[in-house]
Amino acid sequence: MKPRPAFRLWPAALLLATVVVAEAALTPGGTAYTKRYKTTLLAEPSPMASPTGELAFGRQLKIVEMKGNWLRVSDGPTGGWVFAGSLTDSKPAETKGADGNVLLASATTATAANRPLSEEANAYAARRNLGSARVDLDWLQAQCKGVTAADVDAFLKAQKKGEYQ
Amino acid sequence: MRTRALLLFALVFLGGSTASAQFGFLKDAVDAVKDNPLKSNNSTTNDTLKAAGQFGKGIAGIGPEEEKKIGDSVALEIVGKYGGLVRDAAVLHRVNLVGRALARYSDRPELNWRFGVLNSDSVNAFSAPDGWVFITRGLYTLAKDDDTLAGILGHEIAHITGRHALKIVENSNKLSGGLGIWASTNQKVGNVQAQLKQFDISIDKITSTLFESGYAPGKEYEADKDGRNLASVTGYAPGGLRSVLVQLQRRGGDNKKVFSTHPPLAERIKRLPDEPAPRPQSTG
Repeated sequence: MKPRPAFRLWPAALLLATVVVAEAALTPGGTAYTKRYKTTLLAEPSPMASPTGELAFGRQLKIVEMKGNWLRVSDGPTGGWVFAGSLTDSKPAETKGADGNVLLASATTATAANRPLSEEANAYAARRNLGSARVDLDWLQAQCKGVTAADVDAFLKAQKKGEYQ
Repeated sequence: MRTRALLLFALVFLGGSTASAQFGFLKDAVDAVKDNPLKSNNSTTNDTLKAAGQFGKGIAGIGPEEEKKIGDSVALEIVGKYGGLVRDAAVLHRVNLVGRALARYSDRPELNWRFGVLNSDSVNAFSAPDGWVFITRGLYTLAKDDDTLAGILGHEIAHITGRHALKIVENSNKLSGGLGIWASTNQKVGNVQAQLKQFDISIDKITSTLFESGYAPGKEYEADKDGRNLASVTGYAPGGLRSVLVQLQRRGGDNKKVFSTHPPLAERIKRLPDEPAPRPQSTG
């Protein structure tokens, strides 16, 4: 049986989609997406500039202009500058929670931060005789809690990294 | 028969498509199974729908709750195999500041990122889902400047944001779920022991990749490229990763102890841009 014309076109369409994805990049005229729970747009390409708006996770933006590592973007009537590292060129994926509902990755992972090892992992450690490793990871988790987001921000400023370059 | 063939075709070609398309397809798959005239009773239908759900999970991807369970368990295996953790607060502080700085600009900035140093003199680094990154003491001592450390950590962060370990389980679920749909008629898959066994098998699949076979070379080159780009956009010298690879190549020695689960150093070096090595700096 000969395949119907629509099926014959699928491989070509898939190949085209792959090429488009592979060539995606953060350049003027292109598309970018927010990848954080909140992304602040600024009036100037500087971390010290005043905010012009705030965007939620996964928003599709048009890249209007580029200055070094900063992009001027627009989301309908909202526009402003944002550090390129704060955006991504591929649409962030939706994921499913334990209840099976579709939700945004950032919303769940933000609330999951700094939780202790999962019950399943603790049970796994017991089954596999990994009690010592579990103690090590508990220690690591406690140490990592001591490095706050404010510490990381201060480090970036002091080192002139990220948006503080 | 035609419905099955169409479903199989769709599964093969839509495996990497967008989440929304995947969810749409899952509904179609479940509806198709519901209509399957081969099913003779409710029990059989329910079991087949369970298999379809498992299949669907493989397609739709592992969610954050499951990622945490898997990631925590893989992290336990890594720490258990590589001598435990180096409990040096200053070392840990440095690794976490550089690592978290990079992670902030990664494609999953909201993940619970944690960076540790393994008490092993081998030269390697590992990552586990849900933001666990580990570097061996042997490799850490070679990262005398933050640019080099950033290159190493960026590579491991890229494995996590690329979901490389999770894809091993997702692909496996696709296969087992698929077999469930096509071959299973009335298997009891819901009991606790079976679930624990399935969980342990999933962890084994990831750890055997991490400790024995390594990821496919393509995944490693992708992590090299993405990690380099992440270090660069964060403001670190983009040649950091390449410089440590060159350093290791010049040093020679026991290859079984040097990135033993990664592609050959020469090939990785060749694929990275030839950029100046970072300038030595004081670390603290």
